[in-house]
Amino acid sequence: MNTVVRHTFDELGRQRRAVTRLAGWSVVEALPALASGYAIARAVDDGFLAGRPTVGLAWLGGYAVVAAAGAAGARQAYAGLAGIVEPVRDRLAARVVTGELRRATGPGGQPDGAAVARLTHQVEIVRDTLAGLLTVARGFLFGGVGVLAGLTLISAEMAGLVAVPLIAGLLLFLVLLPAMARRQRDYVYAVERLGRTAESLLRGHRDIASAGTRDWAVHTVGAPVDEQCQAETALARMGALRRASLAISGWLPLALLLITAPWAVRNGAGAGTVLGAMVYIRQGLQPALHLLIEGLAGGGLRYGVTLARLLAATGVPSPAPVQVGTLTPPDLLRMRDVTFRYGTAAAPVLDGLDLDVAAGAHLAVVGASGIGKSTLSALMAGLLPAQSGTIRYAGRPVLVPQEAYVFTGTVGDNLRYLAPDTTVSQLDAAVGTLGAGPLVGRLGGYDAPLEPAALSAGERQMIALVRAYLAPAPLVILDEATCHLDPEAEARAEQAFTHRPGGLIVIAHRMTSARRARHILMFDGARPHLGDHETLLATSAAYRDLVGCWTGPGSDPARLPGDGDGLDPVAGAGLRQDPGQVVAHGAGGDRQLDGDLLDRMAARRHH
Amino acid sequence: MQPSSRVLIRATGDAGGHAVVLAAAGVLGAAAELLLPATLGRAVDAVLGIRGSATAWMTAAVALIVVAASAEILTGFVSAAGTARATAALRHRLARRMFALPQPVVTRYPVGDLVTRLSGQSTDAGSAAATVVGGVLSGLPPLGALVALALLDPWLAGTFLLGLLLLGLLLRGYAADATAAAHGYQTVQSEMAGRLAEALDGSRTIAAAGTLDRETARVLRRLPDLSAYGTGTWTALAAAGGRTALLSPLILIAVITCGGLLLGAGRLTPGELLAAVQYALLGSGLGAVLTTVNRLVRARTSAGRVAEVLAEPTVTEGTRRLPTGPGVLRLEQVTVLLDGHTALDSVDLTVPGGAVVAVVGRSGAGKSLLAAVAGGLREPDGGRVLLDGVPLIACSPAESATAVGYGFERPVLVGATVGEAIAMGRPGGGAATRRAAAVAAIDDYVARLPEGYDTPLADSPMSGGERQRLGLARALRGERLLILDDASSSLDTVTEARITDSLTRHTAGRTRLVVTHRRATAARSDLVVWLDDGRIRGYAPHATLWTDPAYRAVFAGEVVR
Repeated sequence: MNTVVRHTFDELGRQRRAVTRLAGWSVVEALPALASGYAIARAVDDGFLAGRPTVGLAWLGGYAVVAAAGAAGARQAYAGLAGIVEPVRDRLAARVVTGELRRATGPGGQPDGAAVARLTHQVEIVRDTLAGLLTVARGFLFGGVGVLAGLTLISAEMAGLVAVPLIAGLLLFLVLLPAMARRQRDYVYAVERLGRTAESLLRGHRDIASAGTRDWAVHTVGAPVDEQCQAETALARMGALRRASLAISGWLPLALLLITAPWAVRNGAGAGTVLGAMVYIRQGLQPALHLLIEGLAGGGLRYGVTLARLLAATGVPSPAPVQVGTLTPPDLLRMRDVTFRYGTAAAPVLDGLDLDVAAGAHLAVVGASGIGKSTLSALMAGLLPAQSGTIRYAGRPVLVPQEAYVFTGTVGDNLRYLAPDTTVSQLDAAVGTLGAGPLVGRLGGYDAPLEPAALSAGERQMIALVRAYLAPAPLVILDEATCHLDPEAEARAEQAFTHRPGGLIVIAHRMTSARRARHILMFDGARPHLGDHETLLATSAAYRDLVGCWTGPGSDPARLPGDGDGLDPVAGAGLRQDPGQVVAHGAGGDRQLDGDLLDRMAARRHH
Repeated sequence: MQPSSRVLIRATGDAGGHAVVLAAAGVLGAAAELLLPATLGRAVDAVLGIRGSATAWMTAAVALIVVAASAEILTGFVSAAGTARATAALRHRLARRMFALPQPVVTRYPVGDLVTRLSGQSTDAGSAAATVVGGVLSGLPPLGALVALALLDPWLAGTFLLGLLLLGLLLRGYAADATAAAHGYQTVQSEMAGRLAEALDGSRTIAAAGTLDRETARVLRRLPDLSAYGTGTWTALAAAGGRTALLSPLILIAVITCGGLLLGAGRLTPGELLAAVQYALLGSGLGAVLTTVNRLVRARTSAGRVAEVLAEPTVTEGTRRLPTGPGVLRLEQVTVLLDGHTALDSVDLTVPGGAVVAVVGRSGAGKSLLAAVAGGLREPDGGRVLLDGVPLIACSPAESATAVGYGFERPVLVGATVGEAIAMGRPGGGAATRRAAAVAAIDDYVARLPEGYDTPLADSPMSGGERQRLGLARALRGERLLILDDASSSLDTVTEARITDSLTRHTAGRTRLVVTHRRATAARSDLVVWLDDGRIRGYAPHATLWTDPAYRAVFAGEVVR
């Protein structure tokens, strides 16, 4: 809660002018509260009861004028409120957007499913409850002071009599406030837990029914239902204590005033004075107190809990810059002894990998699903830090992930994303090379607005490919970036990238895509094998399995014409066989695979 | 009686003693609140020496203050605690009913809609007692105050009513003013939310390209517009606030003016004027009665939404046990209707115990429906499904759940952890879970997770293939019959072959019904059911069916991975 209080005061401190304006107009707004009892007391004592109704009407008329001034003040105070609350919301929204994007793009970052709700829902709660909080707080502060001042005008003794229980009740409330905040927080968590549990279980309704575990599901949902019931009952108890403090500060002054009234009358207080004092309490003090305590306990606690969670969720530090530029071309990427695992006790995904990629390289990464290919691409693109080992680059590589990023803007904005200075003729050339012409035409040209939701997955991938092709970066990593394209379009796109200056790494989705590569990194456990197609066929049983299954019909009694994807599992023409170059098992230095080629890659097994 | 009323009455019953205490304390409190102004007035008159015994009236006034304050504390507590209790009882009942809904019924409700009924609308319905009692009682003080004013002097009541009417008329302007600004605000807000969602979806691209700052600026570009619209809503609110700030003192001043003149004329005592001022304040609460009516309407609407689910039919639950047997599955004249047309038409099928039978056919042929019916996940509209001679529908849920296991194309994993998602409340402990994971070839994946089987599901990023394998591990609970509905479609063929071998080795003897699009899978099965437009077009080994070009055409367009 301390962070919330500090944050709130920092924010108010930034808006000093608006706060001053709000306070000033609040004083004007509080004038009727100050005037009410006194004007009534005078109107009755000096006017109506004294047989001078015009004097009475004059006092009440004066009160009406003050009420009009107060109404004007109230109106201006709202404007002052906007001057505080809107900038606070702006900064909070900026903080949420920055934090969520930093989190999602940070190492191992996952977009948080609740991120958008934070921006739309929670930021709004903070804005509305802050406004409510400021309203009740200043209403009580100025209204309460006004009432006490007015009472003092009528009778200083009465003011003293009212002040003591008022302050005692408020103190009791303040003492209870932290406990109330905890209960409120527990309640919010309980509500969220029930929603989350119910959602996940109801989403799995079919699966639960099919597994015959309805009782388990009902029981699992039942736990947060009971928790919420307990949290609500605890809140209800707190509510009783809160109303007790309200009774002390609001009702006790009235009783005291009443009990001491005979004494006051004996000392010369008129009927109007007693009347005015009662009006101060019933009309001024009690409603203001009620608003303050209910407002603090409701909106105030909601503000605290929501803001605390928002601040905790979005306080994401600025990401550390990726170390680039420590290699000089033609060397593009150098990985040394790179090890990665998802938890300290978890089995490694990669174990001591060495890899060199130079300009002109075309490397495919293959392996069964879930074996760690995407982890490797994240490491190669600098999205994940390796737990041990070093990764060096010659400039930041371009990563094109499976889920292509397309944003609301023009088609041209999307294509120029990584190379803002691209000319139209350069755009034309890239679009033509990759075969994206029909798509751009259908979208209405480079200046046409692009609606991401209207694009198919394949069209999105095509946009991302053109964008990557235009990028100045020397190394391109395609991580299943063509999986939604048909095989011909995929072949054309990969062909285009091999003719682009620099290096190309393809996390392969189809065997055809792997066969186009000059070298293949075969994942089978945490230590991949590197070789070309023939080498791997000769040395890796897992690779033979993969090739057989990705291409072959296996046990089919007959084959359809045009079966498979046109691959022959036997070595294709034009590819050298160099089984001797396969990386040695056991310790050893890096091996040059193709000294005569621009690409140099090596994978080494440790131990 | 309407179902919604039944839900509300039941909820009031669930609040139990709380409802009774609420009613009693509420009546007492309202009475005290109504009597207090008059009593205070008499006490003041007595103190001023106009009439009556000061001690007696003061004692009465203090007693009423104590009653009013205590009633306020008590009603607040019992209404909240009673609502909590009634809501919890309603939620338990609703949850039990929701999970017993048949598949065709539950698919009619979006998940979010069911969650809203369970978490949100049940609260409104659960607050029935508090709302009804509170509603009736909150109407008493304002109405009573109006009567009291009229009793003091009809002029007072007339002045007051006129003022209140003016207030109501002037406040109406606000709604229209605020709507335009609020609409603009929401439009800009959802645009920003859309851009944030886009950027989050593209987080890998953005991270790799190092364009974080640019993206942040892009999402926030319309923030100034949001601010402008926001200020607009405050301006509309300021106008309304100003009017209210003016009108409530004016009503009071009008009543006091009227009362003061009556006082001067000797028709009112000072104490009665004090009472009149307080009754005018109490009477201003008349607007709150509208709020209460609003809440009652809401409680009723919510109760209706809850009642709608409670009125749905539930799945049939039998009590029979299965005899020991090899797992022979028989479908007799099974017919299923879907949106008015016949999706499965009089299907007769016998699957021998322990056999592996593939189900193939074009999409829409009824494969998944056949799978759903065969394991008792869905009741057929006609015909019977027997496992080892006993209708599945007649078996106890526990019995059929032990016998039949389902694997799906898109399994939905539920449970707090990966281990729980496999076990799903089943006994057998960690060993059974680990065994199932090994058979489904997902144990390596779990081993790479930070906390293994105890890793929270939310922290376990997984591909479609990994999800399917966890679903397979979960399905292995079926001891007699495994129904795999395209349950390995996201796996590459190496992994699929590996799992098939593993299943054959570890679950030998269990009957397997495998819905598939893959030729290789059909070829590996003992028999193939070829479905076409809801009917069985062929039931023979793959090699026999393969001679038919129409059968071969079923597999055309298969994407090889």
